[in-house]
Amino acid sequence: MKSIIDLTDKRILIIGASSGIGKQCAITLSQVGAKVILAARREDKLREVLELLEGDGHGIKAMDVQDTENIEKCVKEIINEFGALDGMVYSAGVGTAIPLLQTKPEKIKQVFDINFFGFTEAVRQICRRGRYNPGMRIVGISSVASIRGDKSKTAYSSSKSAMDSAIRCIAREMADKDICINSVAPSMTATELYDRYIEKYGEDSDTNQDLLKRQYLGIAKTDDIANAVAFLLSPAARFITGITLPVDGGLTTC
Amino acid sequence: MTEQEKIALIEETLDLDEGTLTADTVLDDVDEYDSMAKLSLIVMMDDEFGKKLTGDVIKGFKTVGDILAEME
Repeated sequence: MKSIIDLTDKRILIIGASSGIGKQCAITLSQVGAKVILAARREDKLREVLELLEGDGHGIKAMDVQDTENIEKCVKEIINEFGALDGMVYSAGVGTAIPLLQTKPEKIKQVFDINFFGFTEAVRQICRRGRYNPGMRIVGISSVASIRGDKSKTAYSSSKSAMDSAIRCIAREMADKDICINSVAPSMTATELYDRYIEKYGEDSDTNQDLLKRQYLGIAKTDDIANAVAFLLSPAARFITGITLPVDGGLTTC
Repeated sequence: MTEQEKIALIEETLDLDEGTLTADTVLDDVDEYDSMAKLSLIVMMDDEFGKKLTGDVIKGFKTVGDILAEME
């Protein structure tokens, strides 16, 4: 029987692979045959994730996306060591809640450095000749916050909207190079971020109960997001580019 | 930072007029002390004092004096 999602021997770079959704993407993509290159700040964490992968031919690379000027060097080293890429997942991100009156420009910049500038710079670098194979597919991990307004999310939501907006432009610009790019927009997902959210508000709090009413399929598992990423990276999604796919347990239908 | 300066910082954080609060002010009596105000306190404590306030600590705040005690 043929599997629709087959990434056998596809070389996929995952930035932000040390925890949460990025970590699960690494595991899931390895299960469908990909050779993944794990990138994040902490090499010790990447080594732990590497142990969880299926198959062989995987690798790790220490990379701090906040240092956007260093991304080019990191990408060059990755290509030299592992070869041209068939795909990339950008899962590095910070989820901040800052009331408007405290949202100073430097706070917005801190969020944008990781959530947006790191993303566009990584995409820019891998889209250079010789660094990708024909048919390369890129997936950014966005958020439902990209299209929904919420208190205290000015910086975060703007950064995710910027990512999705950039994706629509890049999709058109890179189509002639046979490169497709999309994002997935998860709602609240069971990661360390959700643990911190519960710590802050409490499980029985009105805030959390309101969330569960709107996100009526419950809290997403990281697999739910990784499965959507695997699909968008696969040849089965060849006719899809420039979109943001909500993976949100129904949240955006409310 | 003196106690008066800390109270002024709380007033600024909660967007209250200067002189609104004293150490004895009961937070439940302050209309503006809602969930966003609590989040503002979390951000302020992190920015100004490098302290991470948890939900439990915030729930324990009954008076302005309780907040002052954390501002060290």
